Amino acid sequence: MSGAPGLLRGNSPGLTLARRSLALILLCLLLLPFADLRIIAVDPWGELWRMLDGFVWPDFLGLENPLLAIALTVSVALWGTFIGAILGFPLALLFHHSRMVRAFCAFVRAIHELFWALLFIQVFGLSAVTALAALAIPYAGIFAKVYAEILELTPRAPTDALPGGVDRLSRFLYAELPLVWERLASYTRYRFECAMRASVLLGFVGLPTLGFYLESAFREGRFGEAGALLWVFYALIATLQWWGHRRLLPILLVGALFCLGPWPEVDGDLLWRFVSQDLWPAPLLQGDLAGMGSWLAGLPDLLPAIGNTLLLALMGTAGSLVLALLLWPLASRHFGRPWQRVGGRLMLIVLRSTPELLLAFIFLLMLGPSMLPAWLALALHNGAVIAFLVARHADGLKTGMADLPASGRYAYELLPRLYPNLLALICYRAEVIMRETALLGMLGVATLGFYIDSSFQYLMFDHAFFLLLITAVLNIGVDALSRRFRPREVPLDDPCSR
Amino acid sequence: MSLLRFEDVDLGHGTHVVLPGLTLSFQAGERVALLGQSGAGKSTLLAEIRRRLGNTAAWCPQGHGLVPLLSVYHNVYMGRLERHSALANLFNLVKPRREAWQTVETLTHELGLEGLLRRPVEQLSGGQRQRVAIARAFYQQREIFLGDEPLASVDPHQALRLLERIQARHATSIIALHQHRLALGHFDRIIGLRDGRVVLDAPTRELTLARLDALYPDSTATQGDTKDETPGEAKGEDRAASST
Repeated sequence: MSGAPGLLRGNSPGLTLARRSLALILLCLLLLPFADLRIIAVDPWGELWRMLDGFVWPDFLGLENPLLAIALTVSVALWGTFIGAILGFPLALLFHHSRMVRAFCAFVRAIHELFWALLFIQVFGLSAVTALAALAIPYAGIFAKVYAEILELTPRAPTDALPGGVDRLSRFLYAELPLVWERLASYTRYRFECAMRASVLLGFVGLPTLGFYLESAFREGRFGEAGALLWVFYALIATLQWWGHRRLLPILLVGALFCLGPWPEVDGDLLWRFVSQDLWPAPLLQGDLAGMGSWLAGLPDLLPAIGNTLLLALMGTAGSLVLALLLWPLASRHFGRPWQRVGGRLMLIVLRSTPELLLAFIFLLMLGPSMLPAWLALALHNGAVIAFLVARHADGLKTGMADLPASGRYAYELLPRLYPNLLALICYRAEVIMRETALLGMLGVATLGFYIDSSFQYLMFDHAFFLLLITAVLNIGVDALSRRFRPREVPLDDPCSR
Repeated sequence: MSLLRFEDVDLGHGTHVVLPGLTLSFQAGERVALLGQSGAGKSTLLAEIRRRLGNTAAWCPQGHGLVPLLSVYHNVYMGRLERHSALANLFNLVKPRREAWQTVETLTHELGLEGLLRRPVEQLSGGQRQRVAIARAFYQQREIFLGDEPLASVDPHQALRLLERIQARHATSIIALHQHRLALGHFDRIIGLRDGRVVLDAPTRELTLARLDALYPDSTATQGDTKDETPGEAKGEDRAASST
């Protein structure tokens, strides 16, 4: 006779993962007292009610010129993705051969689209160049990495079957590229959907995309208009498969060229001064190392900002984990009735399609400026993204025992098979969450992004650039850390899940 | 005339030796069948023969090695990819070369693939893919044919017809297969492999079905024809197709 093992004792893979996730949640709970989670708003429920009212009774007629904003949003997303793919593809071919290329790609994708926009606005103003560069540059880094991973998985058999002496280009075009083409295309499509969200967000820094009108409508309490704009955006995302069809793409791309604008007049001297002088600490440029001390002292207090950023990332990750665990059954065929499932899936799609900054913005208006709205937004958006993917994965599984109660089906049949994948998704997502936390600073949460935003506002570009570098380094660090904790046994062969 | 000889060489992948101490020679003009269970070392031997003969031999790999997204024409064209410049190959993807198209069309007629030239290989049946792979080997236009189970995914009747076409076009052929009756009826010499050793090497006229069946120790069958169906053979092809 042996006694039953104690709580969470044992070395089965499932228990290891359970211990790991509980440790994550526990760490989050322990650090929670350090987070600023006050509710500052006077009447949060009333505010929420008025927003919902605006969403249910959207005021389409109140919109001035929505078509222009829609056209610009789509055009920026389209060309941003396109240029990103064109830049990223050659980088992908070099990705596994050059440490320099890998580091460069890690750096450009560690900085969020909006920060790139803030940087380029200083030189190119509120123009199409700023918008396109803000999307294309980080996407080039992302495409390089993901394309390289896809290319690495090219089946070898057709290459081995070729006669000897075939040149490299022909080999690539005939025996490699066609084998992975579908995957490359489907990832590019997925990235375009992300670009649509990012393109909306560019409105928050002043480019006249949908986000610009959304922000002002929300800020000025015109919730009917805000609701109408949200509906327009959801409709765009929902009908993407039709208007974004492969055959229509060339026409869309050409048409989009005419919607992009305005084109800036670039002053070469100004640009050069910005790159060579404004971005760098003045003492460094003068070779005055002693002066660097006082320059560093002039920076905002970095430790609390870094602490807040990391804490919010941790809270966002743990929150996403818990929410994903709770939400995925809502959209899975194993639970509930068909009409409930439709509702659940719709909710997840809405949460997934809404840009996280926008969610945070809405919560911010409701709850006031603390870390709470940011946390809610991060956890809801990313939790829904993961829940959606997990539900899709679950729908592909067959349960062995048909007559188990729902709780038994969840805990014994499905979750043990889904959990490694779910945790791997969370680990991939941690990097995204980290990028977004810095970003939420732009709404007033005291993360690094807050100081980057204000440094730009005070035209202290050297400070802003230095903080951007720190953000990038933090991001790369979190990415490395989450990769170490990612369950090894599940290969995520669907790159669209990142 | 001797084509190539192995004298006491170890063959394998990297440090893993599959065929230790192999001594074997092949003559030009010979039709050789390689028999043996999966894993006996047939593919290793063929790969080494292919390496030594280089581009003097046409090659038809196990699992076909086709590209599912490309058309039948382009898959066959790949047999001569090395004879054109990169630019010409690139252009051929967009607009097929006229003389290549005509040659490939004749070949596909011969192999019962007429009308399928533009069809992506992913839409073909297993037997059709097999014939595309053979067409690609024919398109290379070599004296020697090397095939690693090129008749694995066709029915016995088709296998016979395809084998006759292969041997009509190539004076020398070295082919791994599982169909014992075909091996007895249509080859000059049979080499039997088992666990990395040559356990049989004799002219076909000296052999019987019973001796060939002995190469498969766990076989309960008394008839060689049971070996005509080998369900595991299309695996490599499935993998290539599903991964796109």
